Amino acid sequence: MVTATSPAGRSTARGAEDPGRPARAPRRPRGRLRRSAAPYLHLAPALAAVVLTTVYPLVAALVNSFRHWRLNESRTPGAFVGFDQYARALRDDTFLNSVVVTTRFTVISVVLSVGLGLAIALLLNRRGRLTGLTKALLILPFAVAPALKGFSWRFMLNPDHGVYDKMLGTVLPFTSDVDWLGDEFWAQIVLVLTEVWGWAPLIALMLLGGLASVPPEVHEAARVDGCGAWDRFRHITFPLLRPLLLIVVFLKAVFSIKLFDQVVTITGGGPGRATETLNFYAYAQGFTFLDIGYASAVSWILVLALGVLAAFYLIAMNRQEER
Amino acid sequence: MTARSARSYAARGLHVLGTLAVLFFILFPIAWLAMTALRPARDAFSTSPFFSPTLENFRGIIGGENDLTMALVNSVVVGVATTLIALPMALLAAYGFSRYRFPGHRSMLLAMVATQFIPGVAIALPFLTLFHDLGLLDTRAALVIVNLSLVVPYITWLLKGFVDGLPLEIEEAARMDGCGQVRLLWRVVTPLAAPGIFVCAVFSFLLSWNEFLFPTFLAKENATTLPVGLMTLVRPEGVAWGQMAAAGLTVMLPMLIMSLFVRKHFAQGMTMGAIK
Repeated sequence: MVTATSPAGRSTARGAEDPGRPARAPRRPRGRLRRSAAPYLHLAPALAAVVLTTVYPLVAALVNSFRHWRLNESRTPGAFVGFDQYARALRDDTFLNSVVVTTRFTVISVVLSVGLGLAIALLLNRRGRLTGLTKALLILPFAVAPALKGFSWRFMLNPDHGVYDKMLGTVLPFTSDVDWLGDEFWAQIVLVLTEVWGWAPLIALMLLGGLASVPPEVHEAARVDGCGAWDRFRHITFPLLRPLLLIVVFLKAVFSIKLFDQVVTITGGGPGRATETLNFYAYAQGFTFLDIGYASAVSWILVLALGVLAAFYLIAMNRQEER
Repeated sequence: MTARSARSYAARGLHVLGTLAVLFFILFPIAWLAMTALRPARDAFSTSPFFSPTLENFRGIIGGENDLTMALVNSVVVGVATTLIALPMALLAAYGFSRYRFPGHRSMLLAMVATQFIPGVAIALPFLTLFHDLGLLDTRAALVIVNLSLVVPYITWLLKGFVDGLPLEIEEAARMDGCGQVRLLWRVVTPLAAPGIFVCAVFSFLLSWNEFLFPTFLAKENATTLPVGLMTLVRPEGVAWGQMAAAGLTVMLPMLIMSLFVRKHFAQGMTMGAIK
């Protein structure tokens, strides 16, 4: 368990009123239930649901990824073709394009969301009525359905009448002629912006939890010793936030790699293939072209990529715990 | 006035400005969508903040020319059904994870969390062919089943945190009095965990209400939900922006209100859900 999250996290789980409550003794299996099947009976329904809705489709997709199966040719799966469809993906320029698009999008939106989220958290990390109100509202953008985020931004950036288009055109005159979604470069920027809008406030909310666990006396002592704001951030705040930042970066990366909803509702992958993410590419292959086999191979490449990321993350977490 | 206090006034002013900028950043798109929804349709692109509010956009999507009533009903039914099915499973499992140590404890918990990292396409594709064979394609039941893949692991994890925080003494006392396991769960644990259960119910409904990929894949006409229904307002002759905004507001409003109730747990659930 990560230390930086536990003080804030545990206290909210128990009720925010008693954060100082001492930790409970570790729970032991008790009496007659010690070696019984009881825990497995408790888990059975949930595990059954997970097996049916997650393990089954994953395995089925893996099997299908080795088979030739186009729904428009046959309703039943065809011959096994080994790794052919994986090889096909790696030779396919549109697939490789979607890898590049996804990677670029992920890196940029992680940096911007986490950077802005950290800035907002540092800004709001104090008491006051206005900051209190703002903190309370940080959750709102994330609660908006991603598909809807896409539509509303597309509306506001309409190059003829969109309100954001007009505002931006006034503040940054060079953008007044930009056709936001008709231009390969700007369409990608728009996609990043919608993600930043949804995530930066949520990340700020998460980081505020971590910041609250830094005792103000530490900052006060550093200030008395003549430490400037930047030094205090670098030597006190940042090291304490690091484990939490790692989680946030990882989470944002996973959700960016899985980006789908906004692609459909804002750009539809275009213009050209400028915003065709991996998830969208797999969707199009399966749903539009009905190539179940190939789409399964692509989606498994996505599963593997996320799996590798998750493994790296767990290793990093473990190392941090050992420190 | 000393130089020092002048500087602190300036810092305060900057701070207030910054906070207002954050508020604007968060609220403007939401406020703009709400305004567009209430604006007369012919003024959809007007940027004037002054207009006489009308419900004509809502009339257009509820019983009007672009009827989305069915999608709204589907969204509610799928959300409620998913929640009602997932909650008891999750509560049982959360209790199991919280109160017992058993072989496979850690790895099963980890596996639950790991399911959150699986891309939706990998889950939706096999279900597309399975539901096709079973004749379940384009039904609400199909969406409920697939939504369980998102909801069950997530709220199990969240509920485990809540159950961890419940006092053991009450349970032990009830057990002393001869209370059986089922009665204990129903009469003792459930009421104690009620706030946590409420939070999880909100999350569960939110996840399935906002879900877009699964209904896109698995519902064509009869079972489309509201987020997918928005797509029907995009026509070759142009987008019905006013009605889109009205439908958007309908999607957004319940979620905004509910999320304000559970915001603390949201951040916690996301960050805690990522670690073991």
